[in-house]
Amino acid sequence: MAEWLGQNTLLLGLALLDGLAYAALVFMVAVGLNLVFGVLRIINIAHGSLFAIGGYAAASLGLFLAAHGLPGWIQYVALVLAAALVGGILGPVIERLVLRRIYGHEQVLQLLVTFALFMILEDVQKLVWGVQPVTNDAPLRLLGTVDVPFGEDVIPFTAYQLFVLPGVALATLGGLAWFLRRTLTGRIIVAVTTDREAATAMGIDARRVFLLTFTFGAGLAALGGALASPTTTLVPGIGASTIVLSFAVVATAGLGQIEGAAISSLLIGIGRSAAVYLAPEFEVVVPYLIMVAVLLVRPQGLFGVVETRRV
Amino acid sequence: MLELAGVTVEIAGVSVLRAVSLHVPAGGRVALIGRNGAGKTTTLRTLMGLLPCRAGRVLIGGEDETHLPAHHRPRHGIGYAPEDRRLFGSFTVRENLLLPVQVLGLPAAEQARRLDAVFTLLPELAELAPRRAAGLSGGQGKMVALGRALMVGTRAVLLDEPFQGLAPALALRYAEALSRLHHALPEVAILITESNPELLRPLVERTFVIERGEIAPAG
Ligand SMILES: Nc1ncnc2c1ncn2[C@@H]1O[C@H](COP(=O)(O)OP(=O)(O)O)[C@@H](O)[C@H]1O
Ligand SMILES: [Mg+2]
Repeated sequence: MAEWLGQNTLLLGLALLDGLAYAALVFMVAVGLNLVFGVLRIINIAHGSLFAIGGYAAASLGLFLAAHGLPGWIQYVALVLAAALVGGILGPVIERLVLRRIYGHEQVLQLLVTFALFMILEDVQKLVWGVQPVTNDAPLRLLGTVDVPFGEDVIPFTAYQLFVLPGVALATLGGLAWFLRRTLTGRIIVAVTTDREAATAMGIDARRVFLLTFTFGAGLAALGGALASPTTTLVPGIGASTIVLSFAVVATAGLGQIEGAAISSLLIGIGRSAAVYLAPEFEVVVPYLIMVAVLLVRPQGLFGVVETRRV
Repeated sequence: MLELAGVTVEIAGVSVLRAVSLHVPAGGRVALIGRNGAGKTTTLRTLMGLLPCRAGRVLIGGEDETHLPAHHRPRHGIGYAPEDRRLFGSFTVRENLLLPVQVLGLPAAEQARRLDAVFTLLPELAELAPRRAAGLSGGQGKMVALGRALMVGTRAVLLDEPFQGLAPALALRYAEALSRLHHALPEVAILITESNPELLRPLVERTFVIERGEIAPAG
């Protein structure tokens, strides 16, 4: 074991750093999925499409701005702006035109509808961006790399993945926790999540909360995609793999737990990238092995509470 | 103040209330008595607009408000303490009490005034204020639910089986609180549901009995 470790510290270090950056992105998607499910009680399969479209929009906007010779820092504004546009436009459109019609219906129908939505958005995305890979790694290059000491080795790692991604994820976690606990709008969202009927009887317009929460969750997914876009090549299918992974995170964490979603994002993000480096043939299954292992021991997820009566 | 006129309500295709009529006058204290499953909770939920009426009308202050959305009822001065308390467990007692008036957008001074009034009426809530609602005992939770209903219930409060499951000493305290409420705020109408017909007799002026979704006026 010690010998193996000695030979593989570099790989281990890379897996850890990569996993951390990856976990940050997965968290952005999973936390929105969790929030949306908590309030709307709909498992939104199309959540991954918002991640993909956020990524494409950010890459296109970044390339466009670079082509017009705008300064480098604009690239980072473009990431956030693209996410805000995607969330702010697609969020309300989807909630009003599609989801509003299926609240309170059987879960099978809801799954079918959001799956259909996912297929439609995937086609829209192909229509707009085609099937050729799209990349804009300017935000990654502009910040350069950092030498991370790891044992006797030094791992050069991009500052973007080392600082920006985990930083944004941490800020999202802290900001969201503060927002949900300390602001009236946040408490209203928590009230609707806890007990929609009681919240309504207290004067809360649940429909408005649905719209707000969905738009916010869509924005988080799009921001995840936008932040991911400099680190990866965008191709069709990226939405599907993201949504499946964030389902694994949400199931592992248990519903309604944002801190839990952060920890299980770390678990699954690092687990997955450890597999990428150490046992690539298992890359695809490792997240689900982690999920299954957790659910076997705790069916309600790591941090979930057993659901009592919910009328 | 509150009235159901020939209201029929269906849940999952079954009529749970059939041509129900019930009147709660302004400042009146009214009991709705019925066995388990008779339709008491459904009646209160209908008054709150949480269930649609198949037929009939809901009147608030004499106006037809059958189609007034549920979340507008607190604005009309109606407070509701649902069966099983239904507090928001992750909030403190104070946050639970304040939520409905914050949602209404009342000025901070008015919010504080109402909170004080509730604390005066139910002094134990002042002590419980910083505690998390999830950690309360059943009896404490009922008091908080009553307080929360009173925060917006300036014209009427609907209390769904508040005595159910209360130990005799606690039930007595709750009944005393209701008497204090009536003397301090005589303009607030009270509608209470209960399965035991004897329990509420000293507290109310009028009793309706509901059986299998039908109300026959009595007492
Ligand atoms: N959500 C529901 N789904 C199906 N049936 C319901 C539901 N809520 C109430 N009922 C039925 O309506 C009837 C009246 O219920 P309820 O108003 O809760 O009675 P009570 O409060 O007097 O015990 C019961 O027969 C109950 O089974
Ligand atoms: Mg009942």
